[in-house]
Amino acid sequence: MSRLRGRSLGSLMLGAVVVAYIAWSLLPVGVAFLFSFNRGYSRSIWQGFSLQWWIGPHSVFRNSTYAGAITHSLLLAGLAVLITVPLGVSLAVLLSRWRGRGTRGLSLLATVPLVVPELVLSLAMFFLVTRLLTFVSLGTPAQVVGQVTFILPLVVVITRGRLTSIPIGFEEAATDLGASSLGAIRLVLLPLLQPAILASAIVTFAVSIDDFVITQYMSSTSATQSVPMVIYNATRGGATPVLNAMAVVMAVTTILIAGLSFLGYRFLVQREQFGALETEPELTAPPITTVPATNEGGW
Amino acid sequence: MHPRRQLLALGGPGLIWLALFVTVGLYALVSIAAGGLDPILLTPVPAWSPLHWNFTVLGQVTSSFNPFGGGDWHLFLRTCIYIAISLTACILIGYPVAYFTAVRARRTKGPLLVLLVIPLLVSYMLRMLAWVGLLSPGGWVNSVLLHLGIISSQVNWLNGMSVTVVLGLIYGWIPYFILPLYASLARFDTRYLEAAADLGASGTATFVRVTLPLSAQGILAGSVIVALPMFGDYFTNGLLSGTSSTSMVGTLINSYAQSESGQATSAAQALLLIGFLTLLLLPYLRSSARANGVVVR
Amino acid sequence: MAGGHIDIVALTKAFDDFVAVKDMHLEVAAGEFFSMLGPSGCGKTTTLRMIAGFEHPTSGQIILDGVEMSGTPANKRHVNTVFQNYMIFPHLNVFENVAFGLRRQHVARAELKQRVHEALELVQLGHLATRRPAQLSGGQQQRVALARALVLRPSVLLLDEPLGALDAKLRRRLQLELKSLQQTVGITFVYVTHDQEEALTMSDRIAVMNNGRVEQVASPREVYEEPATEFVADFLGVSNLLEASVDGRQGDACRLRIGEFALNAHMGEMSLSGEVKCVVRPERVRLLDYASAGANQLPGMVERVVYMGSATQVIVRLASGGQLQALTHNDGTEHDYQQGTAVQVQLPPDALRILPPVAAQAA
Repeated sequence: MSRLRGRSLGSLMLGAVVVAYIAWSLLPVGVAFLFSFNRGYSRSIWQGFSLQWWIGPHSVFRNSTYAGAITHSLLLAGLAVLITVPLGVSLAVLLSRWRGRGTRGLSLLATVPLVVPELVLSLAMFFLVTRLLTFVSLGTPAQVVGQVTFILPLVVVITRGRLTSIPIGFEEAATDLGASSLGAIRLVLLPLLQPAILASAIVTFAVSIDDFVITQYMSSTSATQSVPMVIYNATRGGATPVLNAMAVVMAVTTILIAGLSFLGYRFLVQREQFGALETEPELTAPPITTVPATNEGGW
Repeated sequence: MHPRRQLLALGGPGLIWLALFVTVGLYALVSIAAGGLDPILLTPVPAWSPLHWNFTVLGQVTSSFNPFGGGDWHLFLRTCIYIAISLTACILIGYPVAYFTAVRARRTKGPLLVLLVIPLLVSYMLRMLAWVGLLSPGGWVNSVLLHLGIISSQVNWLNGMSVTVVLGLIYGWIPYFILPLYASLARFDTRYLEAAADLGASGTATFVRVTLPLSAQGILAGSVIVALPMFGDYFTNGLLSGTSSTSMVGTLINSYAQSESGQATSAAQALLLIGFLTLLLLPYLRSSARANGVVVR
Repeated sequence: MAGGHIDIVALTKAFDDFVAVKDMHLEVAAGEFFSMLGPSGCGKTTTLRMIAGFEHPTSGQIILDGVEMSGTPANKRHVNTVFQNYMIFPHLNVFENVAFGLRRQHVARAELKQRVHEALELVQLGHLATRRPAQLSGGQQQRVALARALVLRPSVLLLDEPLGALDAKLRRRLQLELKSLQQTVGITFVYVTHDQEEALTMSDRIAVMNNGRVEQVASPREVYEEPATEFVADFLGVSNLLEASVDGRQGDACRLRIGEFALNAHMGEMSLSGEVKCVVRPERVRLLDYASAGANQLPGMVERVVYMGSATQVIVRLASGGQLQALTHNDGTEHDYQQGTAVQVQLPPDALRILPPVAAQAA
């Protein structure tokens, strides 16, 4: 009896911690959202409700710097997805299907950017593109290169996770039935990797939108400012609540795109359940855990 | 089963990309740190050949971190203390949250996970921006504290207060701690709990003797994931403090990197940081290699 | 595709420091149902994978219908495989799984459709063409795997433990179906299994393998009745192993001595002398009253009686030392063996088999 009561008290406290954490983690963001409707110019003192930062001449969409930053962030994210996902997925296939010597060295190469602080990687890449690879000019090209380098290892990790649950037997069966080696990868492995490819795209997109350090180091003029850069540069200054409005627009866009892609991911995973026999249930990439688990190293 | 030539054709571009931008990039870092100075412009000139390496700057930077009289020793110590406190808080707050979501939650699991992921999609900068608004003079934090009588006059939280920086670090990085820990706890087989109870262990004993040891690997992974970037974090400090009294290693490296004449120094500091983090990571790498064979499938 | 003759010459496969297949020589006739039987790690699957082309021999040759295969990649061999877990492509439906190989050969659409449906009819799956693999039972997946391989009309079909994942009842039924399917299509089947019952039921010939070597190649009857080695005798059901010394010859039998008792053996290596090993199957051992006198008997005492349904296993401790197992059919005759009952164990001369010496076995 006492044990039962102790347990339920513990559960209650545990639940309280969870609720408190979630409130703490999200309420400030809600307040920042609220202040985008502030009538005055302050981002900390409430002066009444207004839509002026959302509609009209002062709105975020009419502000060339802020609207430009949103466009630039989306452009960088789109390019990052287009380059990182194919590059990372094919590298993951190489790393997981390579047999014999050299695997460890190759894997190490793909993990370095995950264990080096982003600032150090950014500095290294800044010196690289300004002193040696000068054809990669600072600004959009260097920003894309920087983000791809930074996110590539994450895509490799996500894809390799899925690859380990796909027995090599599928590729062998394809070859046995007459497909070439690359044919087996294209006709069998790639369709089976669809969920991992989509998950990689979501993560790449989210990390790219969120990225600050490498994007800043690789930037040139103010035209190449991403949303996080604008926020960083304007927050301590006298920016109006239109800054909040921009941040919210970006966040909502990210959540919508990620959410929709996630629904697609869930659909793929459920449709692509392997036959009951060849894989243990735990290996068939549970729909939810893979995305957060591989979000690690975010920044 | 795939011929190596075809695998290389497939994964080659990714390999070349990483080799070029990461390996050569880190080499560029060394070449700048161990390079020379242009005598007229005083800008760093990379020494691409190891034969021309010059370790003067690296030596200077190393001695600046000397515990006995090194100019940057206090900054380094401060960084370590901030990170240690933040990490402890991440574990104390993050563990119950991850544990509840992964092990206890049933029908609430899905919504909870969404709530845990949202901070990652809402960018770090927006979350910092939110706190800047709340902590500003006249902001809601001050109002509430004044109202409750905890403070007697407006406090300028954003002007070099350690508390603000540490809270900012915790707030900023804790979502990145919780998710990997959640992923590791989600693999936890709750039948171990039944086995422990069956063998007569109390709830507390089960937690201390079974659950905690089995989740050590996840805690460690989460800690590494947030601690590493904290060593290079300059933006949290920049937004929430902006004065040198709370500077961290990241702030130092970033400020040197801003001026051409300081670039060699920043490169040397970055190299030292890599060395320090490698030493710090060695036990983790070893334990994760061991654990991969034993506990974690 | 006619043919299907496989000649394996001095085949060796080493993985780093582990030698999976050692100097193997085998010949499989066209149209034969040939099984490779052995415990896990004996090299049977590695051999199969070398025939399929997934592994490359370290040395030696695999000759298919007179053509050496080492330069031919897996996708160019007229050999198809039914995989252990079937490896039905989960993203394709049954029809597309079976059509996969034909599409690689760019078979015209009408012919493709016809051949896929023929193959599905052959394995009685015509009605499931549009199903997704996840909706199929294990037995149905096994049939899809068969159809997918057979539709390409290979000269050899390789089967890697194809019944391993199924339950015992279904397995028995499919054994018979596989055998009749093989007779219908008339091509060579090379069948890998660790289940001696499967091998005995279906095969024309069996190669029993151990530690990367072939211990015996013979018909099911022969490997069971006349095991060439101790390993074969043991692997094909429990065998009693006795150590004896040769005590001369008596007509066409060999006189053996075990301790103070004399036995006649009729089978195996009759020309040996000195210390030998011989085997006798439990179902050939007869238990008699202790008082009964006769030839080829050893006295002993019942140590344990295990009821097994259709038969009863009686373990007897011999007066000469060692144990023997006897299997008596529960055919209605009353026995009264209990622990401690003294019995005579009769070993018929034509059931007592002298094994060749170990050195000869290794060669």
